[in-house]
Amino acid sequence: MSSRVEILNDGGYRSDGRRQYELRDIDIDLSQQGTADGCCTITHGLTQVLVTVFGPKEAKMRSQTLHDRAVINVEMNVLPFSTGERRRRARADRRILELAATIKSTFEPVVQTTLYPRSQIDIFVQVLQQDGGLLHACINATTLALISAGIPMTDFVCAVSGGVHSTSPLLDLTTLEENDLPHMTVAVMPRTGKVTLVALETRLHVDRFADIFRLAGDAGQALHKEMKRAVKSRATRLVGAMETGMKPPMGGADAFERDVVMEDKMSF
Amino acid sequence: MHKRAPAFCSAARPGASGFCTRCLFRRARMPRPASPSIPEKEFLYSSLKQSLRLDGRNLLEMRAPTLTFGPELGWVECALGKTRVIAQVDAKMVKPPPERPLEGIISIHSELSPMASSEYDSGRPSDEEVTITRMLDKVLRRSDVVDKESLCVLAGQRVWHLRLTIHCLADAGNMLDCACLAGVVALRHFRRPEVEVVGDEVTIHHPSERAPVPLSMHHTPYCLTFAYFPETSILPVLDPSHLEETLSAGLLSIALNAQRELCVVQKAGGVPLAPDEILRIVGIAVDKAKELDKTVEERLKEDWAGRTVEVR
Amino acid sequence: MISFASFPVPSQNETQGMTRHHPDVEDDIDMDEGFEEGFHRLTSPGEPLTSSQAFMRGHGTYIDNDEVISSVAGTVERVNKLISVRAVRSRYNPEVGDLVVGRITEVQPRRWKVDANSRQDAVLMLSSVNLPGGVQRRKLESDELQMRTFFEEGDLLVAEVQAFFADGAMSLHTRSLRYGKLRNGQLVTVPPALIRRLKSHFLSLPCGVDLILGLNGYIWASKHVKQSEQEGEEAFDAEAVYSNKNDDIDDATRLAISRVSNIIRILAAHFIPLTDTLLLDAYEWAVEQEGDVKDLLQADIGDAMIATIAARD
Repeated sequence: MSSRVEILNDGGYRSDGRRQYELRDIDIDLSQQGTADGCCTITHGLTQVLVTVFGPKEAKMRSQTLHDRAVINVEMNVLPFSTGERRRRARADRRILELAATIKSTFEPVVQTTLYPRSQIDIFVQVLQQDGGLLHACINATTLALISAGIPMTDFVCAVSGGVHSTSPLLDLTTLEENDLPHMTVAVMPRTGKVTLVALETRLHVDRFADIFRLAGDAGQALHKEMKRAVKSRATRLVGAMETGMKPPMGGADAFERDVVMEDKMSF
Repeated sequence: MHKRAPAFCSAARPGASGFCTRCLFRRARMPRPASPSIPEKEFLYSSLKQSLRLDGRNLLEMRAPTLTFGPELGWVECALGKTRVIAQVDAKMVKPPPERPLEGIISIHSELSPMASSEYDSGRPSDEEVTITRMLDKVLRRSDVVDKESLCVLAGQRVWHLRLTIHCLADAGNMLDCACLAGVVALRHFRRPEVEVVGDEVTIHHPSERAPVPLSMHHTPYCLTFAYFPETSILPVLDPSHLEETLSAGLLSIALNAQRELCVVQKAGGVPLAPDEILRIVGIAVDKAKELDKTVEERLKEDWAGRTVEVR
Repeated sequence: MISFASFPVPSQNETQGMTRHHPDVEDDIDMDEGFEEGFHRLTSPGEPLTSSQAFMRGHGTYIDNDEVISSVAGTVERVNKLISVRAVRSRYNPEVGDLVVGRITEVQPRRWKVDANSRQDAVLMLSSVNLPGGVQRRKLESDELQMRTFFEEGDLLVAEVQAFFADGAMSLHTRSLRYGKLRNGQLVTVPPALIRRLKSHFLSLPCGVDLILGLNGYIWASKHVKQSEQEGEEAFDAEAVYSNKNDDIDDATRLAISRVSNIIRILAAHFIPLTDTLLLDAYEWAVEQEGDVKDLLQADIGDAMIATIAARD
């Protein structure tokens, strides 16, 4: 489906008014959902993903347990109303199975599973809305959900998608842009700058690849700051509530002056 | 220093010889394939550290692919060492779906049965199986290998439907590259019957009447898989064997053509790598793809020269 | 249709709405405080804490390149040379001697499996429970055959963490008259971090409600049982301990139990650790309100309650 919309106009703006290297608005919601141990709803522009984490807990399938580490189990569900055309996807859709397998293998080396032998960590990914960048939203949301569940990880995993329009690289593509441009998703671990995931599925010249690849790595670092801010402000709030009942947090509060004061509400 | 690793070890399938308490334990409890024993693992890692592979290859050396063409056009058997895959293409004429009246249809059927390796179960597709089928789909279909518009015979009425069947016969490591190679060579080797359209009348000429025509292809992608190991001192290995694959800590698959165009780069998790390392591997893949392209072209030419297509 | 204008979704009450543009502002929120003892510093995974030469790594950290690095998001704690990070919210980390409330999930040969909100189900050995006919006696085959008459799947119990197995699973025991099967009440679950270690985890509120605060975050709120009645005579009354029948509970007690449970739920939703004074204050306030017990769970009433009791401190 080729569109008649200009991907990047002469003024250097994209179809939704962003610049080349501009990411879409990111909303991170770490509020508690039901009985989950950790959860995160992340909104990248119009893409919205909800991830809930259960565990580490007793493995349900005894045959699947590992004696020296925890098993990570990822279930992914794309809601039928998440795309423009309403379509019910089979649970065993290969594309979804592949995404789930990708998320699983991305987090297996990052989560310190050896601390929880014979346990199981369940990750449930619900795609609420899709507008491009599905994989990167899923990975970012999973990182945050695991952190909010208090599961030890060596580092954040921050993913960004990137594409190229003729010779100019773009970041964080929408569905419209993804349909027209070669694009890829890169996930980095910010502390070491190493790359855990690269997924390119469209034809792209080797030289262009290097450009976007490096750019997406940098963007991952920027995203990391945003994610870290969300994690820390949640921690500040919870620690504050624990320390003094309702009074504002004591230690380290001055470092978060810029943060929005948030309503402290978690619904059951 | 050995130039070659002892033969007994390269022949040993993981778990077949080395029993450790771990393997026994796992085997008693579940159908999960037994993991290699600790001595096997140590042996492999320490030889790789000295840049030696158990089958005597260099780290970045592929097993030379053996391509065998069948009597029919579009029937190829590809072997990388003991890994063997058969790919076969056939074409039939169908009515196109209304949303794409001008394009032909390509469908890929891949079968990974327990025949290839006891690790593949016939039940729910395992993660490896999903990865292989999805990769085949991405490399052979979504990267526009075949010009779909050229498969249109009569707009909205008749198009060619290409069926590519990939049968995995034996898995001795790196099934993915072997399957992709078999698939793409089968497409190159295949020739569809000549068609003649007069008004609304479509005539298909039997190969004995008119010479069949090759498919119009945009490019020929090759898939190359590199294996990474948990210890960073071990350099990546191209075309991993089965043991190397099971002991690796991550695979990086790159599909690209001889024109330096990447089609798929896939590193789904596994050990994190430095960005420069990935770019270095991409650079190596570019050279390897060119070499591979040359051998494939030669084999195809050779086979075509050996065939006599009767045209009356 | 695919829309090609990306509008930010309106922020809900607990969201961080911030846009970051690619190489733009490079602001840093790292803190440069040292490690004063008793001072809370927050950290997140992948954040270097200190050099591993001068310090030892504890829970929630790992070592890479001579640096102690945090692996969870939470507060940094230091005891002499030991640096550890406590996650703000996580599953229960058992310690020997902890009092826990659990639920039987499985009956296995000579042992029960107990869900105690931990990373693995706990184990309760047949040899770690009191059996009918004397506190100390040998376990017989007949005991093994009638394990379900003591505890069956779904039963709730209060127990103490006795020891750990090699893989980190905990082993429980109920060899005290205070431990055993739970009756006459309801279970409330809160994050384990909200239960502090107290002198006694058996609270008796003046409103006629007994509370058992399991350190694993499971709380049992039940009808008050008189001390003498509970202990009975010196002998151990197996029938009473393993009984599956609730006593008669009058409406006032039922109301009180529900009220206490709802108060606990509200406190947990606001992430406030439970203390007996806090509970009592809240209970008083709730009684003054004269509303229905279920009204407590409405957001505004809950907030009002929290505001009042916080002010009383």
